[in-house]
Amino acid sequence: MHLVIVGNGVAGITAALAVRAKDAQAEITVISGEGEYFFSRTALMYAFMDQMQRRDLEPYERHVFREKRITLRRGWVTDLDAEGRCLSLADGVAVSYDKLLLATGSRGRRAEWERKLEGVVNFVTLQDLEACERLTPGTKRAVVAGGGLIGVELVECLVHHRVATTFLVREATYWPAALSPEEGEMVVAHIRAQGVDLRLATEVASLEGEGRVNGVVTTAGDKIGCEMVGVTIGVEPNVDWLRGVKTPPELGRGVVTDGGFRTSLPHVFAAGDVAEVNGQIEPLWYAAKRQGAAVARAILGETMEYGAPTYYNSAKFFHLEWTCAGETKGPGRFRKLPGRDASVRVLERDGIVTGFSMLGSRWNHRVLVKWLEERRKTEDVMGRLSEAQYDVEFGRVAL
Amino acid sequence: MIRDRLYHDMTNRGVTGWLMAALLTAFYVVLYFTEALTPWAQRVGLSSKWDLYGVLYTVAIVGGGLAVMRKYGHNRYQVIRTSVVMFVQVVFAFSIPQMLKAMHQPELYLSYFWPLKFDYGNPEYLAQQPMWFIVYSIAGGLVLVPLAGAFFGKRWYCSWVCGCGGLANTFGEPWRHLSDKSTAAWKFEKVSVYSVLGISLALTGILVYSWTTGSKAPVVVEFQSWYGLIVGSVLSGVVGVGLYPLGGTRVWCRFFCPMAALLGITQRAGKRFHIRVKEDMCISCGLCSKYCEMGIDVRAYAQMNESFTRASCVGCGVCSEVCPRGVLRLESESGLVQITVGR
Repeated sequence: MHLVIVGNGVAGITAALAVRAKDAQAEITVISGEGEYFFSRTALMYAFMDQMQRRDLEPYERHVFREKRITLRRGWVTDLDAEGRCLSLADGVAVSYDKLLLATGSRGRRAEWERKLEGVVNFVTLQDLEACERLTPGTKRAVVAGGGLIGVELVECLVHHRVATTFLVREATYWPAALSPEEGEMVVAHIRAQGVDLRLATEVASLEGEGRVNGVVTTAGDKIGCEMVGVTIGVEPNVDWLRGVKTPPELGRGVVTDGGFRTSLPHVFAAGDVAEVNGQIEPLWYAAKRQGAAVARAILGETMEYGAPTYYNSAKFFHLEWTCAGETKGPGRFRKLPGRDASVRVLERDGIVTGFSMLGSRWNHRVLVKWLEERRKTEDVMGRLSEAQYDVEFGRVAL
Repeated sequence: MIRDRLYHDMTNRGVTGWLMAALLTAFYVVLYFTEALTPWAQRVGLSSKWDLYGVLYTVAIVGGGLAVMRKYGHNRYQVIRTSVVMFVQVVFAFSIPQMLKAMHQPELYLSYFWPLKFDYGNPEYLAQQPMWFIVYSIAGGLVLVPLAGAFFGKRWYCSWVCGCGGLANTFGEPWRHLSDKSTAAWKFEKVSVYSVLGISLALTGILVYSWTTGSKAPVVVEFQSWYGLIVGSVLSGVVGVGLYPLGGTRVWCRFFCPMAALLGITQRAGKRFHIRVKEDMCISCGLCSKYCEMGIDVRAYAQMNESFTRASCVGCGVCSEVCPRGVLRLESESGLVQITVGR
C-alpha cells in the first residue's frame, strides 16, 4: 500500500508514525509545501522571540523519519484525481496513491478589510514567522487585530521585541467564548500591565498605505500609525486549494468526513484541523494528534466511529496560565483566589458540574474531566478541588 | 535594542559568547596552573588565590541567584531552591571554612562529599582530620547522600546543595539552554560519566588498600596526581565552567562528575523521584527540552504521555517552569503514580 499524506503537521505526522507502527510494509509519503520537516506550530512564538532556533521546533529528530521509512516530499499539491488515484504537484510531478490522507490543517482567517500590503501578517505558518522576523526591526508600532490565542501570542512576541503594540479586540469583554467577564477583566489587566495598548470593542475598519501598510483606522474612528498589522481573527480549515481540483471532495466548512474519517471520495481520508468529522471541527493541537492516531487505524481498515471526547484546553496569556474542561459558558461559581492573580470557576447545572475554567494556577485537566464524566455534584467537587491542583512543589495555590 | 542584541549574542554562541568562554577558560588556567592571582589576593587582604576564588565564586552565586529569583519569582520551588543554594554557598562553602582557617583548624567544606571531593574518601587525608569530620564525611558520602538520592532524587544535592550545580543554576542561568539535546550526546554521556565514576572508585579502592597495608606504590601516587589534574582541575574547572557559554552550564555535571553518576544510579533505583507528565496536554513546543541544562529531550517523553526518571536529571525544575501548558511536574513519591482516566 502506498499511503500519501498531504500536510506534515501534527495530524499528518502522527498518522504516518501510527501507520508505520502497525504496518511495516506500507510505503508512506508525506507531502508539504510549508516546510520539509514536521515542526511544532505552537512554538512559532518562541522562535519569533529568539528563544528557539528553527531546528528546536522539530518534535522529532530528523533521523526518525529515515528510520521509520517515511518519505518526506517538499511541494504544493495542485490537483487531485480520485479516479486515477493521483496527485499533481506544482513542480509538475505526479504522485499516485492507494490511500490518501488530507491533513492540511488550518489557515489564518482573512478579514474583510484585509488587503495585500507589505506589513500585514498572519501568525500561523513558517512563512508568516519569516515575514514577522523580517518586518520587526523596521517596526516602531504594530497593531494586532483579534483577541484570540494566536493574537495574544503575537502581541507577546512584539512586546518582547520592544515594539509598541496596540491590541484590538472586537468583543466588549476579553474572549467571551471561553472566559467569564471577571476572568476577561483579569486577563485584560494582566495584558495591559505588560505595556500593551489593549482596546476592547474595537476592530479595524480599514488599512492605510499603498504598497506598505502605514496605519489603521479603527471602528471607533481612531487612526493608529503603524508599520505592521497582525491579523489574528481565528483560523479556518485550509480547504481553498481543494476547490479547483479535478475531483474535489465534499466540502462544508472543512473537508466533510464520516466518523471513520472517510471523505466523499474513495480511499481518501481527512483528519486534523481540516476535517469536519460528523459536522464537527476540532481546531486544537491535542485533537489533531488524537485524530491522527485514530485515522491511522481507519486507513488500516478498522471500522470506527470517532467522537470527540470531553473538551479541555489550556492557554497562556503572557504569564497567566489557564486550564478549562467541559463547558466554559453558563451559570457557575466564580471565586478569585486570595493573594494572587488567580481564580477558579466551576460551572453547574441542577447541582451537577458541567465545566471548569481555572485562571492563574495549574490544574490537572484529567481529574477535572473525570469529575465531569462522572457527573459529580458541585458540592462534592468544591470540597475536593485541591485534588486537581497541579502547581509546582511548594507552590500549591491556596484555594 | 543594542543591549538585547548583545545579550542574545552572548547567550547564543555569538562572538561575545566565544569571547566569554575564552575569558572563563583563561581565568581557570591562570588560577590552577599559575600564581598570577596570588598578588591580587594579597592586595585585597586575602591570604591565597584560593581565598580570592572563594570570594568570587560566592559573589557569582549570590549575584546570579538574586537574578534567578527575580526571573522565577512567581515559582516557589525556584525561589526556595535558589535561596538554599545561596545559603549553602555563603555559610557552608565559604564562611565556615574561612572561620575554621582563622581558628587554625583544617579548612573543611561540609557541603562537599566524596567522590566529588575526592580527598574526603581518601583514608590518608581523612586520618589527619578531626574525628567528628571523619564520621561526618564517611556517613555523609556513603550513607546520607545516596539514601537521600534514592528518596528525593539527586536534586537534593545536585541542584540544592552542590557548589558546582549552584554556580550553574545562578551565574550560569543565561547559558542553560546550550546543552546538547541529541541522542549522540546522551550516548557519550553514558560512557563518559560512568567511566569517570569507575576510575574514581578504582582509585579510592587502591588508596584504601595502600593505606591499610601501609605501603603506597609510586604508580599509585602518579595515578592520584593525574586524577587530580584531569578530573579535579581540567574537567571540573577549566572545561566545566569555561564551556558555559558554548556547551551550557552542566558539562561537568553531566559528562564527568562521579558523584552525579552515583546519585543518578540511586535516583533510578529509588523509583521515587520522577517527572510526571500530564496526559494529552503537551503541545510539543519543546521549551522543556530547550531549557534542560542536562540535555534531556524532555519533549520526547511529554509528547508520548510518559512520566519518567532519567539518571542525569538534577531536578532543577525549569522544564516545569517554562512549560506553557503546565504539563510537567517534579514529584518524589513511591513508584510512578499515573492518573489514567477519561476516554
